[in-house]
Amino acid sequence: MATSQNQPAVETRQLVKKFGFFTAVDRLNLRIESGETYGMLGPNGSGKTTTIKMLCGLLKITGGEAFVLSKKAGDPSVSPRIGYMPQETALYLDLTIHDNIRLFGEIYGMNRDDIEREEANLLRFIDLEEWRNAPISTLSGGMRHRVSLACSMLHNPELLFLDEPTVGVDPELRASFWDYFEALRKRGVTVIITTHYMDEAHHCSKVGLLRQGQLIAEGPPEEITRSAGAQSLEDAFLALARRGEQP
Amino acid sequence: MKFSRAFAITKRIFRGLRHDRRTLALIIIAPVLAMCIFGVAFSGDVTNVGVVIVNLDDGVVSKAIISNLSDETLDIRYMDNEQDAVAEVEGGDAWAAIVFPQDFSANVMAKLQDNSLAVDTAISVNADKSNVNIVTAVMRSVTDAMMATMSQAGVEIPISIDDSPVYGEGAEFIDFFVPGIMAFAVFLLTTLLTLLAFVGERTSGTLERLRASPMKESEIVAGYAMAFGIIGMFQASLLLIVGTLVFNIIIVGNPFLAYIIVALLAVVSVSLGILLSSAAKREAQAVQFLPLIILPTFLLSGIFWPIEAIPSILRPLSFLIPPTYGVEGMRSVMLRGWGLEHIWLQIVVLLAFALVFLAASVKSLQREKG
Repeated sequence: MATSQNQPAVETRQLVKKFGFFTAVDRLNLRIESGETYGMLGPNGSGKTTTIKMLCGLLKITGGEAFVLSKKAGDPSVSPRIGYMPQETALYLDLTIHDNIRLFGEIYGMNRDDIEREEANLLRFIDLEEWRNAPISTLSGGMRHRVSLACSMLHNPELLFLDEPTVGVDPELRASFWDYFEALRKRGVTVIITTHYMDEAHHCSKVGLLRQGQLIAEGPPEEITRSAGAQSLEDAFLALARRGEQP
Repeated sequence: MKFSRAFAITKRIFRGLRHDRRTLALIIIAPVLAMCIFGVAFSGDVTNVGVVIVNLDDGVVSKAIISNLSDETLDIRYMDNEQDAVAEVEGGDAWAAIVFPQDFSANVMAKLQDNSLAVDTAISVNADKSNVNIVTAVMRSVTDAMMATMSQAGVEIPISIDDSPVYGEGAEFIDFFVPGIMAFAVFLLTTLLTLLAFVGERTSGTLERLRASPMKESEIVAGYAMAFGIIGMFQASLLLIVGTLVFNIIIVGNPFLAYIIVALLAVVSVSLGILLSSAAKREAQAVQFLPLIILPTFLLSGIFWPIEAIPSILRPLSFLIPPTYGVEGMRSVMLRGWGLEHIWLQIVVLLAFALVFLAASVKSLQREKG
């Protein structure tokens, strides 16, 4: 399940993404080791989602290179090994939780027994066992978010991309999400999470602070805070952003 | 392409329908309702047309013609003078004033003896010709009554038509119309449902999630095409059952061939829906494409009137519309009883449309990776 410890799970070199004249990601160099829980932090429009989409093969790369699980980003052989949870709920509202999970299980080539087993585990984890046969359209936003997370983890991916997984989730469940991500990390799964909640960063083994498509700092959260001479990661981000604006 | 992944999409569409009763109702009820409404409305008979008859003649011929006028087609009132009758037409209270002149019967009898006599034997029809269908029905009714009267009087025209139909014996308008409405319903509903479903896939993010999975664009399109091909065949079956039981339509050919045509048309429609969906960001924008689908199909594909009745300048457009081949193929199967040896061209053209549109829709999905 885990990737080779010698190879990084994700590596980008001078990665660039432009939309017309707008540069969303600007010469980004990342190296995310296998088994890491990597937090991509930054305000809206800082390039987090665009980076994740390029790594998942959903967007074409304008410049530079990106490697995922030792293959070029977008290589078809990588997609069965990764899990992706988009920012939107991205579920079929007219289907039940069970039907959604079953669909994604079938797409990933899982057999019926495996789907049933993983579904039971995941529903227990997201605490929606009793809602198994409820259509998604009848669920609250937070519940839908939990199902979306379950669908991305169903096939036991080696590498999990989670785009803002904790938005709209209540504090109790957020805490359990992070416990689960930690459990995944212990099993060797690499988890890459984007968030704009700076206070969540302490759950990550490493964070990258993004601003205007550029990586302005990278390292364990405590180290970034300390080196910026700040009290919190949020203060560190603001200090680093101000430094970047100075001529 | 992996069939199991495409089939997962097909199953997802059917599972979704279990919880989406509105769409299910649209699939089941809309085509049947359309067939019933059009079947009844376009039965081809004009009835109860208000006319005024002024009979200035007191002979037997005019009375015989009047008695032979169709009670079903015409709603007859009688007046004494021509001016008043014409005033009724001018006032919109009648569609025609039918006037038998003075001495009409005597003149007819005299002319039968000597055709060279210059006497007035004309029935004057002062009609409101603003509605072609109605005036045609009035004129046909008067002509039929004249012919019937002559026949009763033993005066026969020495020319007759021996009606020996090669195809479509006993066919009525509904028989001509049902194959058309089958093609139309499948084409319209499938395009609309795919268009809306795909806009939904984009806006909800499910399409993105699918594309981050091992699912290929071709498998998504194939999954949709299979689902709507099956739905199209189900709709065709439904229309054939209702058409046979309610309207007693004629089916002389192999219904299996009709299913092939419907399935191909559904595949074309799925691809068209996917192509159009790439130009719509929201459901509301998608609905704006409806006239683009409905109007050309309705007007140019030969559903209601033959392509031969379309002005020659517009006729080439008919051959660019896939339902034209669906309508013609199904009519040939159902009314003429033709087999593959005759309708291969329609099948091949629909197949070509399907392949080109499928390839284009896969390409358009692949191009979305901006």
